[in-house]
Amino acid sequence: MLPLLIVTAAAVVVMLAISIKRSHLLAVWLTLVGLAAAFFSLWIVAPLTPIQVTPLLIVDGYALFYMGLILAATFVTVILAYGYLENQSGYREELYVLILVAALGSVVLVASSHFVSFFLGLEVLSVALYAMSAYLCARKPPLEAGLKYLVLAAASAAFLLFGMALVYAQLGTMQFGQIAAMLSGGACYSKALLLPGIALIITGIGFKLAVVPFHMWTPDVYEGAPAPVTAFIATVSKGAMVALLLRYFYETGMQHLGSVFLVFSIIAIASMIAGNLLALFQNNVKRILAYSSIAHLGYVLVAFLAGGTRAAEAVTFYLVAYFITTLGAFGVVSVLSNGERDADVLDDYRGLFWRRPVLAGIFTLMLLSLAGIPLTAGFVGKFFLVAAGASSALWGLIFTLIVTSVIGLFYYLRILVALYAPPAETGEAAPAGGLPALSRGGSYVLAALSVLLVWVGVYPAPILDAVQRAVSTLRLF
Amino acid sequence: MVLWPFVVFFVIVLIIPVGMLLLSHVLGQRHNEHATGSPYESGIVSEGSANVRFSVKFYLTAMFFVIFDLEAVFIFSWAVAVREVGWAGYIEILIFTAILVATLVYLWRLGALDWSPKQRGERS
Amino acid sequence: MFHLVWLIPAFPIASFLVLAIFGTRLSKKAVPLFGVGSIALSAVVSILIMFRFLTSPPPGNHYTQILWTWVDVGGFKPQIAFYLDALSVLMTLVVTCVGFLIHLYSAEFMQEDEGYSRFFAYMNLFVASMCTLLLGNNLLLLFLGWEGVGLCSYLLIGFWYRDPANGLAARKAFIVTRVGDTAMTMGLFLLFDKLGTLQIQDLMHQALLHWAVGSPYAVAAALLLLGGAVGKSAQLPLQTWLPDAMAGPTPTSALIHAATMVTAGVYLIARTHILFSLAPSAQFAVAVVGAATLILAGFSALTQPDIKRILAYSTISQIGYMFLALGVGAWSAALFHFMTHAFFKALLFLGAGVIIESLHHEHNIFKMGGLRKELPLAFWTFLAAGCSLAGLPLITAGFYSKGLIIWDTWSSAQGSHVLWFAAVIGVLLTSLYTFRLIFVVFFGEVKTPVHKRPGLRMMVPCVILAVLSVVGGFLDTPPFLGGVHSFTDFMHLALPVMTEGPAGGMTEILSESFVTLAFLVGLYLAYFFYVQKREYAEKLTAPAIGKALHQFWLSDWGMDWLYERVFVRPIIWIARVDKQDFVDNIYSGMALLTEFCYRGVRKTETGRIRWYAAGIAAGSIIFVAIVLFL
Repeated sequence: MLPLLIVTAAAVVVMLAISIKRSHLLAVWLTLVGLAAAFFSLWIVAPLTPIQVTPLLIVDGYALFYMGLILAATFVTVILAYGYLENQSGYREELYVLILVAALGSVVLVASSHFVSFFLGLEVLSVALYAMSAYLCARKPPLEAGLKYLVLAAASAAFLLFGMALVYAQLGTMQFGQIAAMLSGGACYSKALLLPGIALIITGIGFKLAVVPFHMWTPDVYEGAPAPVTAFIATVSKGAMVALLLRYFYETGMQHLGSVFLVFSIIAIASMIAGNLLALFQNNVKRILAYSSIAHLGYVLVAFLAGGTRAAEAVTFYLVAYFITTLGAFGVVSVLSNGERDADVLDDYRGLFWRRPVLAGIFTLMLLSLAGIPLTAGFVGKFFLVAAGASSALWGLIFTLIVTSVIGLFYYLRILVALYAPPAETGEAAPAGGLPALSRGGSYVLAALSVLLVWVGVYPAPILDAVQRAVSTLRLF
Repeated sequence: MVLWPFVVFFVIVLIIPVGMLLLSHVLGQRHNEHATGSPYESGIVSEGSANVRFSVKFYLTAMFFVIFDLEAVFIFSWAVAVREVGWAGYIEILIFTAILVATLVYLWRLGALDWSPKQRGERS
Repeated sequence: MFHLVWLIPAFPIASFLVLAIFGTRLSKKAVPLFGVGSIALSAVVSILIMFRFLTSPPPGNHYTQILWTWVDVGGFKPQIAFYLDALSVLMTLVVTCVGFLIHLYSAEFMQEDEGYSRFFAYMNLFVASMCTLLLGNNLLLLFLGWEGVGLCSYLLIGFWYRDPANGLAARKAFIVTRVGDTAMTMGLFLLFDKLGTLQIQDLMHQALLHWAVGSPYAVAAALLLLGGAVGKSAQLPLQTWLPDAMAGPTPTSALIHAATMVTAGVYLIARTHILFSLAPSAQFAVAVVGAATLILAGFSALTQPDIKRILAYSTISQIGYMFLALGVGAWSAALFHFMTHAFFKALLFLGAGVIIESLHHEHNIFKMGGLRKELPLAFWTFLAAGCSLAGLPLITAGFYSKGLIIWDTWSSAQGSHVLWFAAVIGVLLTSLYTFRLIFVVFFGEVKTPVHKRPGLRMMVPCVILAVLSVVGGFLDTPPFLGGVHSFTDFMHLALPVMTEGPAGGMTEILSESFVTLAFLVGLYLAYFFYVQKREYAEKLTAPAIGKALHQFWLSDWGMDWLYERVFVRPIIWIARVDKQDFVDNIYSGMALLTEFCYRGVRKTETGRIRWYAAGIAAGSIIFVAIVLFL
């Protein structure tokens, strides 16, 4: 429980600090200290696990692992956001309150073992995200992004709620553990209520994961939202949802009911195909990354469908790799953005190598990892996904995964080609006094992420160990 | 579980709105005169645009009211069960209220409660 | 002590990274500090390990350091681990020490070059890869090093990339060795498929368990590995790349194309010797390849006018000796010759570098002459190395190592008299071309004046190597000359003892006498043709047959000509004819299809929120329908 309390307290403290003295630096420091404290409190909590905190939350090794992942990713986002907001005018400090609240929602999600906490976490996360997407409300794209996200997320939440209601109507319980007990106990239930309920829950989850056909908001929101916020949406919000997905379905075994498996297969295949196809000729880097994230979640679903401990490990490991890579990629975008607009058009990156070789190198690494080239974290992650899929003989899914990965290579390479293209001589003279300095914190974070990326790619054993220990606490159906 | 009541329900749900729309379409009179399209204002011809811009303050204040009012609901629910939840519940509601107060302090310092905008410009 | 082994490749790789990233910003003084210093540290570590290995050997005479497991999936778990035994310790020691001397030499040799730091970066990467190759405990890591040295070889041959000819030579080296590598990769797949591991010691153990002597799998695997070894070590029929590889800077030729990389094939075969002993026919093939190569390359060396090409052919021929020794099961003799060869051949190249530098980059030996007086130190060191190469009896290392191979060829159970005869003829050829080189370059009248004399950093390595090329042989001498066995004993910690066959009327002393005779004949012929009667040498090539033969040998038995017609041209022709083949259409068709699909799905991204919400609703309805009705 401690981490949740610390994050909550941090949000309140930052809010009060803002009302006492408005200082960007102070707000950032308080946020970072709060996140770090919450992160280290995980070790204090660890010996006590697993404990059931009220019927709503379960804190076990699995939850702790994901909490750590989320807190670390939030930490990185905050540092990126600091560098990003330094260039912006207007109120800047409130973003950190929102980030903390969103992190709180995600942390609740990964620890929830009940529909109520599931929904509560989801909404805390979503409400904060609406405001975060529209944070730079003086510009049009963020406003549009926030509004779209609000409307669609609300709609999908309604589906989710209805689904939960149907399941509850049928089984009379909202606790995952009891649902599992009833399903395995052979309690008689009607397909007509339970299965549509599950399908509607999938809608709600699918929206947050941005998988086909609930994906269409993704590019617009990714493009519009400020780059650090996009990084947050792409990693923390999705990661928390995947954690919940694993827990919910693995603990209840619902994915094997009726045609639910088929539904997930369709979603996975459609996501892999549509995500990669849509990105092909995009010229907006943020949109490309959005589409690629759709495809990546499709890959994750392949392993998810495989089932079993192996698959849970593969998914979790993949998420770690995906977090590192995505944060790095959006980190580069946010470091390059200035006070007027985000650096999101492919032209912003043309010849970047000749201007900022190190940054281009980092971006290259991130893209290679997204594409799954060996010696990066992305490769090892994808390798485990395929291995998990193969162990359950999901050949159709694996085939799609591999073919679409090849297609995906194309648009990653397009960005790479742009990075290393000779600089365009379009009369765009170098700004007086050289290039604007990059935010220091952002640069350190990016450097750390790239080191981590290669480290995990070459020497995945420690992370794998942690993942295995975490997943072993999951009570599989 | 029997399925047919749902089917019947579904059909009825479809029939009623469609029927209403159809009926009014078929039975209703149709005419197109000068004042047909103008809004009904008790016989008084409306003037000017209906799109009057209210100050955003109205919405903001209304929103605060709704939010804080809703929070009161939780306090009521605690009040109902005050003996059952004991001291733990008391501490919880205390924390809850403290957060509410913190929010209020924040709003106040932000200047969200000031009606006239001139003080908002002065950032503390 | 032994756990320091990871430092041996780590120092050069760290220095490579520093030089590759900051190379252009480092001063001219700092570059060799990193480039040479890192190799010096590696050499110190390997000397310490060697010392420790001799004084208190690890249990079982081998030591494994497991750094980490790369991945562990489905029984496939390649480890990053280093394996120390007599074989790898010895070879690492030679590679790092000779490497250090050559690096020291290069610090002066390459000083004026604009790619100074790039050169050291590549060289360090090479040493790191070579040590990985030697120390890796599984074939995957070995293969990583194998490809790494191939890459460095490619980069360094084409080091002066402004000249397209150098680029061509680099590409040729890369592609020709790639032929061998392909065979080797197939061998690795075969081994993993049949025995389920790539960890070398396990693999050998499994092979002994599962395969009988002469089993077809063992023969196939051994032959495929031999293919890799032949490519890397420039043996028949893949030797054509090595003479062209001389386009690289001379220290590169000394380090990579004489002392170390080209002997990787020898290492590979010695490392997997159990596999080869399970496949006698493959082992016999090794011997035949070695014997054929040493003769053919010897003839080619006779006719070359370019000093470095002579040495290149000589390298091919000497590695032929090592292969011959491996083929007859004389494992330690092969390694002995590897070591002495590393000393004297590195020195020959370094000496050649000195000569070429001081004569305005002149490569043609017939434009040199009389350098004995001009460059005395270079002459004496070169002479020491040359005598060692030719096998000057009693005092040079080459005599002992080569004599051992030749005697083993006769006396081994797997040896044969024909092979022995070929080896003795090889000695004659070696002696002839070596002294032809020495007499032409250092004797006679001066033809090109010397314009620059080498400094201390170039000559010190030469002198050290000269001493080693002489005394290196006393580690192991025949019974009638002291009977020292220290080297053989040491190698027997890791490699099996050769099985002796019937001597058949030959004794070791007799065999050594034949070798000596062959040496003397070669020496005399060289003296006769190139000192006494220079015109006779020209007369020999005057008649049509002589001219044709000369031309034939000069072009390395027409191998390049043959390959050009049999492989290169047909492939280029097919490629040209097949520029727009239908297979391409499949791929471009797939690309078009993908693009078409993209245009289709792109229409779904309208940006309109209604449409998005409709998508969500439609999706939900479809899924509800699926779960209800399917």
